[in-house]
Amino acid sequence: MSDLLQIIDREGNKVGTVPRVKKEVFLNMYRAMVRTRAFDDRCMKLQRTGKVGFSVPNRGIEAVSVGAAAALDISKDWVAPHYRDFGIMLYHGVSPERMMDTMFGNEADSAVGRQMPVHFSFRKPLNFLSISSPLGTQVPQAVGIAMAMKTRGEDGAVLTTFGDGSTSASGFHSGMNWAGVFNSPTVFLCQNNQWAISCPSEQQTKSSSYAIKGEAYGVPGVRVDGNDVLAMYRAVSQAVKRARAGDGPTLIEAVTFRMGGHSTSDDPTKYVDPELVTYWEQRDPIVRFSAFLHAEGILNEAADATLREEAKDEMLTAARAAEAKPVPVLTSVFEDVFEETPAHLKKQSAFCVDHYSSRGEGVNEKGEFPL
Amino acid sequence: MSNLEFPLPDIGEGVHEGEIVQWLIPEGGAVAEDDPVVEIMTDKATVEIPSPGTGVIAKHLFGAGEVANVGDVIFIISSDGAVADSPSSAPEVAEEEKPVSAPVVVEKTAPADLPAVTRREDGKVLAAPATRRLARELGVDLTTIRGSGPNGRIRPEDVRTQQSAPPAVPTTPTAPTAPAAVVPTFAATSGAHEEERTPFRGIRRKTAEAMSRSKFTAPHFSLIEEVDCTDLVDIRNRAKVASEKYGIKVTYMPYIMKAAAIALMEYPQLNAMLDEEAQEVVVKKYVNLGIAVDTPNGLMVPVVKDVHLKGLLQISAELAEVAGRAREGKAKAEDFQGSTFTISNAGNIGGILATPIINFPEVAIMGVHSMRKMPRCIGDDIVARQIMNLSISIDHRLVDGADGARFMVRMRELLEDPALMLL
Repeated sequence: MSDLLQIIDREGNKVGTVPRVKKEVFLNMYRAMVRTRAFDDRCMKLQRTGKVGFSVPNRGIEAVSVGAAAALDISKDWVAPHYRDFGIMLYHGVSPERMMDTMFGNEADSAVGRQMPVHFSFRKPLNFLSISSPLGTQVPQAVGIAMAMKTRGEDGAVLTTFGDGSTSASGFHSGMNWAGVFNSPTVFLCQNNQWAISCPSEQQTKSSSYAIKGEAYGVPGVRVDGNDVLAMYRAVSQAVKRARAGDGPTLIEAVTFRMGGHSTSDDPTKYVDPELVTYWEQRDPIVRFSAFLHAEGILNEAADATLREEAKDEMLTAARAAEAKPVPVLTSVFEDVFEETPAHLKKQSAFCVDHYSSRGEGVNEKGEFPL
Repeated sequence: MSNLEFPLPDIGEGVHEGEIVQWLIPEGGAVAEDDPVVEIMTDKATVEIPSPGTGVIAKHLFGAGEVANVGDVIFIISSDGAVADSPSSAPEVAEEEKPVSAPVVVEKTAPADLPAVTRREDGKVLAAPATRRLARELGVDLTTIRGSGPNGRIRPEDVRTQQSAPPAVPTTPTAPTAPAAVVPTFAATSGAHEEERTPFRGIRRKTAEAMSRSKFTAPHFSLIEEVDCTDLVDIRNRAKVASEKYGIKVTYMPYIMKAAAIALMEYPQLNAMLDEEAQEVVVKKYVNLGIAVDTPNGLMVPVVKDVHLKGLLQISAELAEVAGRAREGKAKAEDFQGSTFTISNAGNIGGILATPIINFPEVAIMGVHSMRKMPRCIGDDIVARQIMNLSISIDHRLVDGADGARFMVRMRELLEDPALMLL
């Protein structure tokens, strides 16, 4: 893997130039990675006990999302994400409880229960577009936002993430093409976790890599060790810098491995060779970064253990808080599109309440969704 | 004691049932929150279900291999650990056959100012939009219909049935206008035509799947042999007395099993299977006998292993043990695994011959039928003899009729003159 950008190897040894940032940044990255795994673990348990309907395993890809997140300036950069991006939100201070609100689809959920679990959307503290399940639709959207920034003369960049499977979707090609032609300040981050649900990379593309696909659109491509958070940080930082400088888009391929199913509805043991899982477990991004931080004297055993325990407790507490909140009110279905609800929607809202009330469902203004 | 009932969640998107693969915590075992409790297989994935709380697993409501619907309570956790500490206090939970209610039921309290409407007890009418439209068009009130679909969902047929149902007016017979042939009058009888629907699952469904696979895969042929068991009866009666001091009850079955083991070693093509994937015939050089047992839960086939190496006493003891476990529902998975040939004994209930269905992928199954005193010719005399029929069904893909007949003749020889089994 010589064409791969790597800064720390699987044992945590330095093999490249370590980014010159404050120790706190390293610690924030590490904490976000540990918290991402803890959030993921908690969501899996919530789903298996029937408390939430669905989740998307994030195990193994923590360095990709956290490394990329750390390279952004959220006062001006936007994110057009895909569904394996817990780390971006957690790094930038979205509280686990707000994320859990979306997992449960409760009344505090930013999407008011109208999205599937995991399909987060936030305006604060960062502009994080609503995750959409269809593959690659966020790519041209990201290019559009970036073009708007460019037209307005702002120096923001837009990070869009997607999996290896999305490179076969039309959105990837139209987005990449536009970005190449019009030099949009976009960072394309392909999370190559080896699997598009159960479809392996060798059945996904005949290209020698995903990064090389950029050449077709005149967009430079970079391959990065996606389990090396510092390499991810370096690659995305450089891409963001290029975007801000008006040098246009970059395609980054983060080579990583999904250490779980595609989603809670998937059984990876049916198609993933267990030896492959062992191979990647030895390249665990958290273990590797932890070893680096210990060697650098930034983190010690005790602090590491405390941090992991705290992350577990934090996610459990967040889940309990979100679980305790009621589901959204029935009438919320008619809100949020218009600033002032028009007459025909008011009429429909009244009919709806009346109809479900008469059947003992949905009940009243503070009632439940008739699901 | 506070109990937490755990209903099977939808662990995929739109999954409606799951099979219990195995329990990871036995009844009475302690669990902490998040510990894996049970492995569930759905049509999408096999997953471990973590414990929703800390305590003791008070009860499994489904056994391994059984299918539970989403929403069925599959286990109960007792939070204060009373079950594990003092098993004597367990029965109040353990004897519960079905959970009283699942905790997922959302309490719905209708506000007092709602208009009073006719609705079913649970306050819901379940029907698809198309059904609702049909009801509107036909002028049928959905709240008056009992739905025949899942969870009482009203289906379009129910609406049509309700609409076409004749008004309940007593019919008054009209007098015949002309005197005709005398028609006998029957007392008016009205059968209730009651039916009962139960879910098709668990052992019933597993049995159905296994039988269909066998019957539609292996072309069966059957043949019947008659065995004069007069000598065997005598020998077995003596064995029964002799074995009492070991606390073992010797029945006829161990003799039939022993004879089968001998005959199978001589005709191993009946002790075989077809490995369709490898396109190879696998002939077994050992005899593990599956014995079909009628249990309160249905047909089960526990296995006695290495019958060709064992004596009658040992076979008797092991058979009693595995069959007992199967009847009591305490059998372990390995009790049902590894049989090379199966014997079905329905003879003690009734019937003089049968065409049993092969315990696939084995190639033959033998039925044992009731023993009766029958008149038979010995020389020129008619004498009372103990007669029993053996039937066998064989997979004709691997075994020809002549081999089947030879095997059955050998069975007859061995059972008519049990001393031959000593050779």
